[in-house]
Amino acid sequence: MLDSIRDKVRRGERLDAADALALFCEPDLLAVGALANEVRERMHGDRAFFNRNMRVEVTNVCVASCLFCSFAKLEADSPGAHTMTLEDAWRELEVRMDDPPGEVHIVNGLHPGLPFTYYEELLRGFKRIKPDVHLKCFTAVEIQFFADHYGMTVTDVLSRLREAGLDSMPGGGAEIFHPDVRSRISHDKATGQQWLDVHREAHAMGMRTNATMLYGHIETFEHRVDHLMRLRELQDRTGGFQAFIPLAFHPDGNGMKNLPAPTAVDDLRTVAVSRLVLDNFAHIKSYWVSSTPKIAQVALRFGADDIDGTIVHETIYSAAGSTSPSGLAYDELVRLIREAGRIPIERDTLYNVLREHPRAALPEAAAKVRDRERPKAKRRLPVTDAAADVAVDSTKESSPW
Amino acid sequence: MVTHPDRTEPLRIHGVHYLNARPLWQAFADGAVTMSREHRLVLAAPAEVARAIAEGDADVALLPVAAAASIGGLELVPGSAIGADGPVRSVAIFGERPLDQLDTIALDLSSRTSVVLARLVLAARGLRPRLVGATAAEALSRVGGATGALAIGDAALAVEGRFAHTLDLAAAWKELTGLPFVFAAWFARPGVLAAGDGEAFTAAKGYGLARVAELAAEHAEAHGLDAASLTSYLQDSLRYDLDAPALRGLGEFFARAASARQLPRSAPSTVTAPVATGPQHAESLDRLLSRAADGDRLSGAEGVRLLREAPLFDLGLAADAVRRRKHPHGVVTYIVDRNVNYTNVCTTSCRFCAFYRPVGHAEGYVLSREELAEKLSEVVRAGGVQILLQGGLNPDLRLSWYEDLFRWMKREFALGLHALSPEEILHLARIEELDVRAVLERLRAAGLDSVPGGGAEILVDRVRRRIAKAKCTSEEWLGVMRVAHHMGLRSSATMMYGTTDTPEDRVQHLLKLRELQDETAGFTAFFCWDYQYEKGTRIAPGDGGTQLYLRTQAVSRLMLDNVDHVGASWVTQGPAVGQVALRFGADDFGSVMFEENVVSSAGTTFGVDAREIERRVREAGFRVARRDVRYAWLTEPS
Ligand code: SF4
Ligand code: SF4
Repeated sequence: MLDSIRDKVRRGERLDAADALALFCEPDLLAVGALANEVRERMHGDRAFFNRNMRVEVTNVCVASCLFCSFAKLEADSPGAHTMTLEDAWRELEVRMDDPPGEVHIVNGLHPGLPFTYYEELLRGFKRIKPDVHLKCFTAVEIQFFADHYGMTVTDVLSRLREAGLDSMPGGGAEIFHPDVRSRISHDKATGQQWLDVHREAHAMGMRTNATMLYGHIETFEHRVDHLMRLRELQDRTGGFQAFIPLAFHPDGNGMKNLPAPTAVDDLRTVAVSRLVLDNFAHIKSYWVSSTPKIAQVALRFGADDIDGTIVHETIYSAAGSTSPSGLAYDELVRLIREAGRIPIERDTLYNVLREHPRAALPEAAAKVRDRERPKAKRRLPVTDAAADVAVDSTKESSPW
Repeated sequence: MVTHPDRTEPLRIHGVHYLNARPLWQAFADGAVTMSREHRLVLAAPAEVARAIAEGDADVALLPVAAAASIGGLELVPGSAIGADGPVRSVAIFGERPLDQLDTIALDLSSRTSVVLARLVLAARGLRPRLVGATAAEALSRVGGATGALAIGDAALAVEGRFAHTLDLAAAWKELTGLPFVFAAWFARPGVLAAGDGEAFTAAKGYGLARVAELAAEHAEAHGLDAASLTSYLQDSLRYDLDAPALRGLGEFFARAASARQLPRSAPSTVTAPVATGPQHAESLDRLLSRAADGDRLSGAEGVRLLREAPLFDLGLAADAVRRRKHPHGVVTYIVDRNVNYTNVCTTSCRFCAFYRPVGHAEGYVLSREELAEKLSEVVRAGGVQILLQGGLNPDLRLSWYEDLFRWMKREFALGLHALSPEEILHLARIEELDVRAVLERLRAAGLDSVPGGGAEILVDRVRRRIAKAKCTSEEWLGVMRVAHHMGLRSSATMMYGTTDTPEDRVQHLLKLRELQDETAGFTAFFCWDYQYEKGTRIAPGDGGTQLYLRTQAVSRLMLDNVDHVGASWVTQGPAVGQVALRFGADDFGSVMFEENVVSSAGTTFGVDAREIERRVREAGFRVARRDVRYAWLTEPS
């Protein structure tokens, strides 16, 4: 099976659902990875993209109750619920104006008590502060919610938001499209079809968007394949997707905490199969916050060509050291990519190249580009996944064997 | 292993100080040779000469041919060699019975070339005696009954005629192939010799051969030997020409040794192009990788090439193929144990270490019996099978303290004792003024089961001196392991890369481990990891990254063809990378250590950890089993 898939890939033929399933089931992970890498290098050579972005979540209040969500609070007055004033939200950008991100990425809960004008004002305010900032905001789930909640069509919602400054849409909220899964994990928000329809609308208006898939919970490989196929179909029609981002399910503090998280082997396989199946997507992103920086590095050899951005959060702000925190994260990302033997390319949201960094001369030479000026303080990327919690930092012994 | 030649520095010529090599280097010692540039001669034992050229401390070296093949990428200097066409007298198997009646042969391991020759000759005669390593004196002292000995050099000459049966190996080779045998020759790092320098070595040979009688007489007098016999040995038994028949003999030896997986296969290219000046990468990377996957022995130069140039996937697939051949059952093991650091007081102050406290420091500790008892009880309760006990070099703790501790542990707890890295054993030998063997004997009597391979870092002294000035030398580290292995103790082997080491250094490290393993077969497994930068260490963080880890582990799997197990270092790389590393040649997930800080910070119990490890192993496509320190399965693979 793998041989015939390899032949197809090399001939530039499209893989079908059976091929995709076979790739998910193939025991030889490296063979799948090598094939995805072939395609990835055909498309992008050694280039690996990242950007300087910042994330804002203006509210975590959400009327929906997705099983996997550890972020949302049902009521505005639930403990831990928060909703930013417009001024607070804008301040997030204002305080970074000495080294501003190129993109502001906003995703929120589905707040029942805010007027639509809140969102319009939100966007306008960011554009006032930095007219050329790229606003990548609101998942299709939020757009659908706005339409339902405020009694508008999706087209109207998108037009008004675009009017207010919306440039593109992130790919969140896709989860798993198949109704068998979606009805169990996200029964009370936009359906898979609605998600796709919102993106179709956005593409029709000339907006670019991303797509995601939340994998590794209760879905089967068949559901993943179905998900990829639906995305590929829409992309055939619109060409409006830029990047596909597989997101690993994390079982913390949510309704599926008894499920184990997918392991690195599944992460890499999913990246690789996505690259091979989504032949009409320009970019496959391994989102380092989700996969851990170490696995994101490997993913750059398994089909991914993007590791997302600096993602400056206030939590990273407090990191010690004299350089600005965004600069720190920026350097770390460049280093991460160079260590992986790729050429770091800073891009904007629409994949225009902003800056090309030199690559490490040889895979091994990565070890020679050591930054000797680095201050003594510990400078690690914040690691958000379970990988960080196990002993990684607790081995004080130089040689544990 | 090749660095760029600098032709402005004096040429560093390293020769072996043995009598039989003297005709080749005496002219350099006497300043009787003219070359394109200044040169100086350094004399040492064969192993040191090999080390010097491998680590870039020598430009031209008189090398045993097996060492040259292991290093790889060197140029053979034409014209001279130390060889024999027929009996050589100084390399022979001795016995009281005919060769085919010997069931054991003790091998003097000081010359790998002779050991390989012995293996080839025995195999060609269909003989399969048990081969056991020994020192020269030991080997000869065992001769008797069904036990014979391979003796080399002066030791062999000294016992000529003493035993009933002698098999001269050069004669046996001649009989087998019809060709002369070459033991050693001059090898140069590529590009260090200018045109015409090759002839200087031939001229030097002429100078030496004209003085053979003098050299023999001098040596005979110094060692109380018979001058006439020595002269005859040099003049009649040895053959110093590297002519066409000798080259054919050398090529034949390399080919046979490579087929028997005793030496890297790359060697003949040096021979067929004796004055090659260009890079010797005639072979494609693909071809090299597929040979490696098939189990061909790799030279150091080939290892460096793979580390530098081979694509990640190809390395992974080749390492995975080796893993599959060595462990066809598809089982990945792990051990349940605990790392206990009995003291953090240390006099060594390694630059990469954040753990130690100097003597007298307020944060220094030595664990009390109560603290230890609690830790060990937890291990027992959790189904652990072993304690990994390591600590700093604390001058207050004497050998008797360890003996008491070990006895107490063994009495109170049914746990394996994987304890004290070579550095700690050397430290004990020093403060007790005992030799390493005596220390190990006493520790073993007290309960020591196996020796952890920690503290190896990079077994290249140039690197060690920079990162850990006070640490033992490479030779000392290997020496402790050699003694331990000869005593029947098993140990692991490790490598910590990513400080100031180069790919060449890493491969040299692997070669040294492989060589000792050839001799002792005492290493059970190999683990590597990159230097872990943290607060308190004094070396800039390495830019290693995950790819480098996977590459390094894969190349290690390919180079260490004689080590059974390679472990994924999930403790340093994280369990996610550890899992991926299983597809890059590892067949072991190391230890599921449970340290109190791990358990409490993750808020989990040991059972969850082991289950989690098992799940990851299975998801990577393997079955999983718990093991003991010797890699025996303790649970059915599932
Ligand atoms: S819609 Fe989004 S914020 Fe709301 S519960 Fe679902 S995942 Fe969480
Ligand atoms: S010998 Fe061991 S404990 Fe002592 S400083 Fe070096 S690494 Fe640390």
